[in-house]
Amino acid sequence: MHRMLPALFFLGLMTAVPLSAQAKLNLFACEPEWAALARELGGDDVEIFTATTPRQDPHHVRAKPSLIAAMRRADLVVCTGASLEVGWLPILLQKAGNANTQPGGAGLLLAAELVPLLEKPVRLDRAEGDIHPEGNPHVHLNPHNIALIAQALTDRLKTVDAANANAYQARFDVFSQKWCDATQRWEQEAAGLKGAAIVVHHKAFSYLLAWLGIREAGVLEPKPGIPPSASHLEALLQKLTLSPVRLIVRTPYDPPDASEWLSQKTGAAATVLPFTVGGDAGSNDLFALFERTIALLKGASGD
Amino acid sequence: MRIPSFAASAALTLLFSSTAFAASDSDIQAMKAEIQAMRQTYESRIAELESKLSKIESQKPAGQQAAATAPVSARKPARTIRDNSFNPSVGLILNGKYSGFSGDSSEFAGFAIGEEGERGKQGFGIDESEFNFSSNVDDKFYGSVTAAIVREAGEDKIELEEAFIQTLPGMGLPKGMNVKAGRALWTLGYLNEHHSHTDDFADRPLPYRVFLNSAFNDDGVEVSYVLPTNFYSEIGGGGFRGDDTPFGGASGGGFDAWSAFARIGGDIGDNQSWRLGGYTLSGDAGGRAGNGETVNFTGDTSLYAADLRYTWAPTGNPRAQEVMLQGEYFWRSEDGTYEDFAAGTGAAGFDDNARGWYAQGVYKFLPQWRIGYRYSRLITPDVPLGLLGSALDAGGYNPDAHAVMADWTNSEFSRVRLQYNHEKLTRGRNDDQILLQYIMSIGAHGAHKY
Repeated sequence: MHRMLPALFFLGLMTAVPLSAQAKLNLFACEPEWAALARELGGDDVEIFTATTPRQDPHHVRAKPSLIAAMRRADLVVCTGASLEVGWLPILLQKAGNANTQPGGAGLLLAAELVPLLEKPVRLDRAEGDIHPEGNPHVHLNPHNIALIAQALTDRLKTVDAANANAYQARFDVFSQKWCDATQRWEQEAAGLKGAAIVVHHKAFSYLLAWLGIREAGVLEPKPGIPPSASHLEALLQKLTLSPVRLIVRTPYDPPDASEWLSQKTGAAATVLPFTVGGDAGSNDLFALFERTIALLKGASGD
Repeated sequence: MRIPSFAASAALTLLFSSTAFAASDSDIQAMKAEIQAMRQTYESRIAELESKLSKIESQKPAGQQAAATAPVSARKPARTIRDNSFNPSVGLILNGKYSGFSGDSSEFAGFAIGEEGERGKQGFGIDESEFNFSSNVDDKFYGSVTAAIVREAGEDKIELEEAFIQTLPGMGLPKGMNVKAGRALWTLGYLNEHHSHTDDFADRPLPYRVFLNSAFNDDGVEVSYVLPTNFYSEIGGGGFRGDDTPFGGASGGGFDAWSAFARIGGDIGDNQSWRLGGYTLSGDAGGRAGNGETVNFTGDTSLYAADLRYTWAPTGNPRAQEVMLQGEYFWRSEDGTYEDFAAGTGAAGFDDNARGWYAQGVYKFLPQWRIGYRYSRLITPDVPLGLLGSALDAGGYNPDAHAVMADWTNSEFSRVRLQYNHEKLTRGRNDDQILLQYIMSIGAHGAHKY
């Protein structure tokens, strides 16, 4: 019997811990862009936890203890989906044992399920690199996608926290108006970029390029998720010698060496785009993110 | 999208300019606002229609869609695989190793260990190849089976490493609670609950080899509960049949062994994380064989363990660079009788404790390259007179081992590792080991724990 004592002790402890009551809706955002959107729509009614920083590659995050604790207290989880978080989100959902945020329920919103996905692979084979069967998951750099996701997130906020439904709707009305205006402004500002060609490090900007009509002239990674190799860069250099580009872009978390090398060889500017909210000093909300991105694209391509 | 919206705004602009002549400034402002509103309505309607259209398009049979987007040469129906919706996820681990040893045996001074705790085979050979099938059973249960194919005594045998069911949050248990039943790699220290293919070294550290015969995966039930605290904290405990090392020869009368654990963890800033745990595992060994069945232990055995893990991403991005520090400490207290048949000791009373620990550091200096160092040490018990000269008599010697490794990870599915071990397991006998290992994973590959 004495062997059971530790177990009994823990059982006692378990029942003794009071369940803390939270006034605000706890929102768990997998990436900073969804945290920023939730801030626009949730205002002071939500308490936001962001699982990753702009410097972290969201493909490769550890299911670390702090994330389990945050997932446990979440009322609503907003993630990208399309297998972007496949290496860590499932374990958080399982380990946290939180029935509110399970797949298929109102408490888990996956942005990539709400918008048309680009680059759905024709051939599903791991020899193709880190491909996502659903399509390219980096959907947030097209403002029209943000508009659709904002609508869905508002609906979820209203469902999960019905008491504040009017406040969420009011914030959405203000946001969508501002967002619509801004989108048009950006489209006008970036009109000159249409038809331009750029090189990207990872296919993280496909939705941005498709939106602005920019052509992707090359990718530094030989295959998605596989780091740039010397032979691949050499081949890309040959190709760019024939048809030069003015810009090589990467995210804040991509290693700089490959783009710097190619930049030196070709004279194209190697630029870090903020990629997500907080990705550089100026990009402190979604509006600033797009403004900075367009300014950087225009500035570096001499438009 | 561009064309309709352009057309709409062109029409509106025309409308605006034709009526503007007679209007005052305030009228113009009002109309501007109205147009802006109309424009927004159109924009959002168009976006909505576009999303509807794309939804309809995505629901078309896969063949049609591929035909529309695929290059001519690849014009055949695309297979769509969606994590095998209703079939279990299937994953395979392929694992092979070349081992070269300078010593002719790997006996531990002071410990009689099981077969899994011994060093591997000399020369080239496949290691454990694992098959895993897992799936949600229904809305309340999840099930998983992992079987390893191993070669023992010249024969390929199937070893059931894990076969368990686990509750899903849909079960309605209190938030944060999980129940797991069956055979599993139970919560004990850091490495025990991880499959060996995720280890940072090609072999397990000394305390795992002597105290747990590599891993504790008895048949049993475990309850765990993530506490509602702001930082991570979890407690739990389990009951086990008592057949696997450190137990053995279960009475069959229920649970012969019990465990309890508590863990806390958190972050330091954005780039550092840690976890600390304390564990107990204690029960009756009805007959634990060691040293190839020549040593037998019967009695009470209690194992206490503590683990600490710390990770730091110096650049903020663990994908690019990461430092991982990890250590575990084990303390085993035993009260019973040991018998060494080979030394003819007869059953001799034993009441003492043994300790062991290891500490390791792994540094990922490039996204695909890591180096690591590990030191492990055992502190042997003093044997009673009856066991002098037996396999358990270390003569005051404490085994230790150094390991250094370098590995290359091409993708999250493949890794090749070179390791050098310098083991001093018995007084005066050194064993230098070279291990060259590959670990590959095919099919579904579950997310890894912290």
